[in-house]
Amino acid sequence: MRSAMKQIMIASMILAVATGSQAAEPLKFRQMAPIYVDGKGAGIRQPEGVACRGNALVVADTGNGRLLRYTLAGENWTPGGEIVLPQLPSPLRVDVNSKGEIFALDGQSRKIVRVAASGEFLGYVAPTGDVQGAIVPRSFRIDKDDNLYLLDVLSARVLVMDPSGKIQREIPFPKEYGFFSDLAVDPGGSILLLDSVRKKVFKVAKNSPNIAQLTESLKEEAYFPVAIATDKQGTIYLVDQNGSGVVILGQDGSFRGRRLSMGWKEGFLRYPAEMCVTENGAAFIADRGNNRVDGFLITE
Amino acid sequence: MTPRTKTALVLFAIVSTMAVSSSHAQDKFRLKPGAKGKICLTCHEGFKEKLKLPFLHTPVKQGDCSDCHNPHTSSQGKLLSENVNRICFSCHDGIVPAKARSAHKVVAEGNCVKCHDPHAAKNKNNLLQAGNELCFGCHQRIAKEVAGNKFKHNPVEKGCLNCHNPHGSAKSLSLLKNDVPGICVACHKPDAPAFGKQHMGYSVAKSDCISCHNPHGGNNRGILWGKPHQPVANKMCSQCHLDPSSTDALKTRKAGVDLCRGCHNTKMNEIMGRKRVHWPVVDKMSCQNCHNPHASRENALLKEPQLPLCGKCHQDTIERLDKSAVKHKPAQEGNCTKCHMPHSSNNVSLLDNTSPINLCGTCHDWQKHSSHPIGEKVTDKRNRNLTMDCSSCHAPHGSDQKRFTWYDVKMELCVQCHEQYKR
Repeated sequence: MRSAMKQIMIASMILAVATGSQAAEPLKFRQMAPIYVDGKGAGIRQPEGVACRGNALVVADTGNGRLLRYTLAGENWTPGGEIVLPQLPSPLRVDVNSKGEIFALDGQSRKIVRVAASGEFLGYVAPTGDVQGAIVPRSFRIDKDDNLYLLDVLSARVLVMDPSGKIQREIPFPKEYGFFSDLAVDPGGSILLLDSVRKKVFKVAKNSPNIAQLTESLKEEAYFPVAIATDKQGTIYLVDQNGSGVVILGQDGSFRGRRLSMGWKEGFLRYPAEMCVTENGAAFIADRGNNRVDGFLITE
Repeated sequence: MTPRTKTALVLFAIVSTMAVSSSHAQDKFRLKPGAKGKICLTCHEGFKEKLKLPFLHTPVKQGDCSDCHNPHTSSQGKLLSENVNRICFSCHDGIVPAKARSAHKVVAEGNCVKCHDPHAAKNKNNLLQAGNELCFGCHQRIAKEVAGNKFKHNPVEKGCLNCHNPHGSAKSLSLLKNDVPGICVACHKPDAPAFGKQHMGYSVAKSDCISCHNPHGGNNRGILWGKPHQPVANKMCSQCHLDPSSTDALKTRKAGVDLCRGCHNTKMNEIMGRKRVHWPVVDKMSCQNCHNPHASRENALLKEPQLPLCGKCHQDTIERLDKSAVKHKPAQEGNCTKCHMPHSSNNVSLLDNTSPINLCGTCHDWQKHSSHPIGEKVTDKRNRNLTMDCSSCHAPHGSDQKRFTWYDVKMELCVQCHEQYKR
């Protein structure tokens, strides 16, 4: 009897330690070399967008009105060229498809510009098919199959387009929301929407017409989150612009911690605008107020 | 004596003792015959005058001072038998309706004595003052407006309680006895010919009257809010809405921004032509996120003063400002547009100037009093891509430090860059 009790106690302690460590184990952000300049040594200014796919990293160098390309190799990066287009005076959000084409939301025209891998202007994203009402994109994402997800704040919906631009799905915003600033697509194909004002995340499961609230208000965890990203495990990252930090959520929306804080020096953020995470778990943050792109390796 | 009889006697004794102690508990402050209602006045003589007032609180009238006060000892002020903010609810617990849509702040906080005298008063319901004077004691802005109104709203003159419930409302916001327009159409009959004529033939019986009219009166005919939109003031509703004879007359001729563009085209082109738009401008609600299309008390038809209006979305900024010990004056005064362009800008954070230094320079003659080098040629030692500007040291909304610097000037601020002096 006594021995059985002892075994139960030991098992409970092991279980408690194991589950406790899992719940409390925060992801760590290990600092990598930040990006300050383009290939010619000219400084980045007020970057508001960053995208990564494979070994390609694209930065929306908003203050300088251009896109910058970099090639990633492990924790290092090499500058590529710059792209300056008259159709893209104020690039905000950026993303890259599997062909290396760059898509960028222009703040002035509020259109999504499509740019060839060579840097040539290919046109504006214009949905085709059965689509009613005008469109004003606030953000967009491209998934692994090159489908484009467009956050349309004018007609209060998410439009899902196939690579040819044909509308596949139209998901209306929920009845109650503050303002949606960004969206992401997780590895399972679910769409995540970020409500900056109410500080909530909403989720649309793959092929579901319904939008559901994933989190309660994250008021205690975030000041004014403006961008959302996921990694290959489905961990959710919210870029807290006014809080100059990153809020980490589990796939189920559970709060898993808050990383980074406000500052000017390397390893700190000032009014960050967007974030991307590579397959290897490297995070790049468009650090608008610090005129640079910060790199961090996310580890358990 | 049998054991059964013994048990019965013991039980009888216990029950008797309990009954006696219970009766004592019910009348624990049992007074001498004839003393009730008088004994307190033997010491509190000044109270005798108060009792001559026409309206007495029921326990006072009945001489039950111990209903509220403990005659011997209490941990509450004035020997009250319960916390001063809760004691009234021990009798008046239903004063605020359950699931109230609005509750008067003073009632919710239990500050009943702000309006009522707990003992006696000259006014009905033991009110400290009669009629609107009592309400105007706190609601001074409305009092001032009402006093200066050229066109009076009759119910306001007769008494606030014509429309408001002073404690709480189960039916409406703002303590209104009924929702708008229900409360308005109780007096202003929409089917009356004059009503239709005043509203240019539009069927507004179910509309939000407050979007055009100030319920407390005003200086514009028809008690329109102080700053009516020009088409409203000119009774040109059809400039924005469909013809009054159409089936969906209140529908606007165009949706969102396109409607406003009809008149404000130049302004719209300016707004839309800049590099960064304030995103609510281009969402579904567009202009109506911030502006009331009919009339407003505020300039530029703003729905509210800037601080609460901007705070609807930027709550975090307002909360941080509230918590800051030292506030930047424009932020403190709610003058957000002193530095930010509300619609769009070519600058980050929708600032009104490309250079933060020049922006601050519109109010502060920094070049005359600042000795620290700043400007495009002075690199911030903390970050090679930044140059020194005002925000390098100062938090633009406010902070806990003197002159709202980011860090304490004596110990932390300078050594952020001049690390060699760090102690």
